[in-house]
Amino acid sequence: MKKRILIVDDVELNRVILAEIFKDVYEIIEACDGAEAIGIINGNEEIAAVLLDLIMPNVDGLGVLRDMNQTGKIKNIPVFLITAASSEEMLLEGYNLGAVDVITKPFLPHFLRCRITGVVELYEHRNNLESLVAQQLKKIESMNQSMVETLATIIEFRDCESGEHVKRIRGLTEKLMVEAGRQYPEYYMPPEEIEKIGVASVLHDVGKIAIPDMILNKPGRLTAEEFAVMKEHTTRGCEMLEQIPADVMDEGVYRYSYDICRHHHERWDGKGYPDGLKEDEISIWAQAVSVADVYDALTSERVYKKAYEPEKAVSMIHNGECGTFNPRLLHIFDVVMRRDASEKQDGE
Amino acid sequence: MSLLDELQELGANVEEGKGRFMGNVSLYERMLGKFPDMVTQNEIRADFVYPDYTEVITKAHTLKGVTGNLSLTPLYTAYTEVVNLLRGGEPERAKEIYLKMLPTQEAMIRCIRQSSQG
Repeated sequence: MKKRILIVDDVELNRVILAEIFKDVYEIIEACDGAEAIGIINGNEEIAAVLLDLIMPNVDGLGVLRDMNQTGKIKNIPVFLITAASSEEMLLEGYNLGAVDVITKPFLPHFLRCRITGVVELYEHRNNLESLVAQQLKKIESMNQSMVETLATIIEFRDCESGEHVKRIRGLTEKLMVEAGRQYPEYYMPPEEIEKIGVASVLHDVGKIAIPDMILNKPGRLTAEEFAVMKEHTTRGCEMLEQIPADVMDEGVYRYSYDICRHHHERWDGKGYPDGLKEDEISIWAQAVSVADVYDALTSERVYKKAYEPEKAVSMIHNGECGTFNPRLLHIFDVVMRRDASEKQDGE
Repeated sequence: MSLLDELQELGANVEEGKGRFMGNVSLYERMLGKFPDMVTQNEIRADFVYPDYTEVITKAHTLKGVTGNLSLTPLYTAYTEVVNLLRGGEPERAKEIYLKMLPTQEAMIRCIRQSSQG
């Protein structure tokens, strides 16, 4: 299929000649003023190049260029200015607005064909490369996420878990963060940051890999010494993250992982570990992972306990049986739980 | 005598014009047929008296592009000079060039009109 070029000129003669020059190579679309051109450029048809007269009634060539700058189309569509040596200032402004070249009248057909087809091919090549790079970047990000999830799943297996725990933590953490932004503007974070927090939450227990099996999987209650070792999984996790080369993980994900890893056992009243942080000293994302982790632990079967019903788990969290949490976060947690329950009911 | 031969005698570079229309002679002749109307639409007053020269520069600029693309070379040369002189603040000299060119323009328009009537 032929690519389309748009010829914009109020003088029919100029449009006719340019159409004649390019009709074998391209499908031609014509516009006789700037307003019509803007409508076509912003329409559904893909345009490979615009040949644009500068001096026209209604909206002139510079007006078209300004619109293309606003919509960002100027980055992907080459624009050639048609001129019979207009004023230097106009041409300069045209170049500053992103025009790639100037077509002077009288037209030199073969020269024009070579120049315009060359630039169109160059743009096409560049646009393809940009889209290829974007695809590759997405692939790398997704591979990175898979690696993080695989690592977390391995750790969960040691902990006699199926790997589903980390997925549930991620899901609940992201829901809590979205709701936090809705309920309290100060907790608002953009979706792409929440996604990074979700990925980072998966690594919250990475330090457990350094905890001996006999402590990690002990069926009974831990002794004070054993619990002291168990608590080290937060700081040992950070030590491990410090060993990861800088370019392996997204910088944002790394920062969230580090913070979550270290602080997902801190508590609102300062009675958590390892740093005894309290209230807003603990980041909202580390707090969100804390609640998600506790809820999931309560509702899952462990070597030392049976699974609690969700309602029982929620009331235990509210009663402070698993430490004190931020009252605003508990409100957010309730909203999310209620919504989940009603969605589940609707689904049934 | 054909239209293109007549215009060539008046100084038009007909071969260049045909080349510009990619050898499509009938399209070239059709566009030449529109030239008289383009001149009327951009008519410049013969007395050349204007409050400012913006309007006449725009008109001369348009006709410069048109005559260039139609390869009406003597007209193109004159309009190029008129535009440059007006931009350079020399309206008197621009008027001189314009008036000197007018008979050729009128002769070319006459040929085109006769050809389209015939």
